[in-house]
Amino acid sequence: MGKKRYNTLQGYSFLTPALLVILVFTLVPIGYAFFMMFFKVDLLSGTRTFVGLGNFEKIFNDPKFWASFENTTKYVAVVVPIQTILAMILASFLNSKIKFNRTFLTIMFIPTLTSSSAMTLIFMWLFNNNGLVPNVIESVFGKNVQFLTNPDLALTVIMIMNIFSTIPHFMIVFLSGLQDIPWSLYEAAQIDGANKVKQFVHVTVPQLMPITFYVLTMGIVGTFQIFDQAFIISNGTGGPQNSTLTFSLYIYQLAFSSNDMGRATALAFMLGLIIFTVTFIVNKLLKADKVNG
Amino acid sequence: MKTVAKLVSGAVLVAGLTACGFSSEKSGSSKDDNSISLAVWGSSPAETKGLEKTVATFEKESGIDVKIEVIQDNFQDALTARFAAKNAPDVFYLESFTAPKFIKSGVVAELKDVDNPDDFYQPLLNSFKDEGKLYALPKDYSTLGMYVNTDLLTKAGYTMEDVPKDWVGLMAFSKELQGKLAKDQAAMIFDTAFARNMSSLIASGLTPVTDKNRADFTSSPEALDYLQSLVDGKKAGYLKNPSIDLGMDSAGAAFGSNKAVIMIEGNWVLSALRQNYPDVKYEVVEAPTVNGKNQTTTFTVGYAMAKATDKKEAATEFVKYMTGKGQQQWSEISVTFPTRQSVAEAMKLDQNEVVKAHVLGAEYGTVWSSGVNLPVISTAFDNQFTAAVNGDKTVEQAMKDTEKEANDEIKRQQ
Repeated sequence: MGKKRYNTLQGYSFLTPALLVILVFTLVPIGYAFFMMFFKVDLLSGTRTFVGLGNFEKIFNDPKFWASFENTTKYVAVVVPIQTILAMILASFLNSKIKFNRTFLTIMFIPTLTSSSAMTLIFMWLFNNNGLVPNVIESVFGKNVQFLTNPDLALTVIMIMNIFSTIPHFMIVFLSGLQDIPWSLYEAAQIDGANKVKQFVHVTVPQLMPITFYVLTMGIVGTFQIFDQAFIISNGTGGPQNSTLTFSLYIYQLAFSSNDMGRATALAFMLGLIIFTVTFIVNKLLKADKVNG
Repeated sequence: MKTVAKLVSGAVLVAGLTACGFSSEKSGSSKDDNSISLAVWGSSPAETKGLEKTVATFEKESGIDVKIEVIQDNFQDALTARFAAKNAPDVFYLESFTAPKFIKSGVVAELKDVDNPDDFYQPLLNSFKDEGKLYALPKDYSTLGMYVNTDLLTKAGYTMEDVPKDWVGLMAFSKELQGKLAKDQAAMIFDTAFARNMSSLIASGLTPVTDKNRADFTSSPEALDYLQSLVDGKKAGYLKNPSIDLGMDSAGAAFGSNKAVIMIEGNWVLSALRQNYPDVKYEVVEAPTVNGKNQTTTFTVGYAMAKATDKKEAATEFVKYMTGKGQQQWSEISVTFPTRQSVAEAMKLDQNEVVKAHVLGAEYGTVWSSGVNLPVISTAFDNQFTAAVNGDKTVEQAMKDTEKEANDEIKRQQ
């Protein structure tokens, strides 16, 4: 008994640094936000008045909330499938015995290492109305396409950027998963007469399911929380015409520009709820924990 | 037994937390009773030098130590966070635009017994007042003036006399001028932001921020005509946005690299034009009249003192010095405009060809400040007017939507 107690204490003392950080920077803020979302909070003076569910009522009547809801949903729905599928395909290419695969791996990993704000500035330079991409499009197709001022295309630029910069990271994750698949499975499939494509669909994809679930979850969480790219591209406004207003950007605007911390925390809580629900559904659909029996 | 372990680790946690809390609070402030903190944003090298020198003179004269804290980015947000954390600087820069929010929240201390307040340009001083009480003293200001690139103008076959002084004439002239320019050049640079257009809208007879602090964008047909002229200019290509249409960082950069003939900009572009584009030849005249009225926008920044400061006397002394005795030193080194008329006279600004147009604007300019709801109204306008400029909405519809978006949001914030 004494030894057990000693072990437990020892365990907790090893955990203390991590627990402290989690408590101070994650659990306490979450708890505080949960408390604040029922108040109208003036961040500057620190005064608050209880409003019950008033903040939620305001949010649902707010066209900007629905704009950010639509933008973020669109963003997640486009970015997550594309980045997952492309990362998986690229990883299996790298896993095959092509030449220089280490070199490819290194080059392809560079976008992930670049900071997202620097990447955004580069993309803004590429896509501004007098930039490289619009000029190339104009000289090839003779059509003048404006990206950053066009509300239909501004979000697309951010989507492309995010896909470009996250694929390499997920590719590495898939690659490590691929190397775990026993070679005997492919051998058996080959004997049964499956070609490379069939092997990919019927062996690789199902065997990678736990990894896919991880990638999807991280992708969903990451894309729902998109902030920096939208902030830089619109200079913090979420424009043109609210087309780059995402959940996180709107939370930031409410907290700091509108000085309304109560509404910001209420919206943050809803974002958490949405991410939780979507991840839960993905988990149920993929049956991630039931792969391999 | 598990509970014991939990209790122990819990106790360790609590002890650790409180230790952290107390130690940081002690070390954070008031080590030295004779020092105050001043939060400023990062600005041009000239302004940084001006501030450092003037502060040094103040330190020598008063024996008070001033710690300058430069907040490089998103000054307002960083400042808000510091107020929320009860760690506000003793003195800080306060923009006239956000001043009402800070004043209404009750975190800014009232300034009393200011020496000779009538010496200040009154519109600047008034933007820091609430119910007759004064909460900040303006340190400098900027107004918009019309910059004309005389090289490009001559090349196109015009002289300064051909440039009209009124808005409608200017638009017709720009249209004509654009035909003589290259594709990547603009006759005129324009800005769709509310900050740049509020004074023109007011000159057109509109009261965008009403007495009751609500938005009104629909009651004046002249104002709609003015906005329509911007949309038309953008569509025809004689009005261009520097970053979106020309791929330049700013209006000053586009103007300096001969990509635009006319721009309506603040005097802050002067230092960049002098340092980065010394070869460009230009003249500065007053901003064009709109609807027959003189108009320009005045931007001003003041020194404010946090209510929570425990060094009220030293902070007040500092604010009064920087906007009084020390103002000429500051204005001369930083190349900003003094807010006291006596200093402006001493510096002979009205005899300087380049800045004269800007200084004249201080008398009739609309200060970029209009109550606590201006940020909301301005955001709504910027958002909706972009839609009109992009051609997704008519100007009339965009202004109707601006009014609704702003007033709905104001209601939600009450």
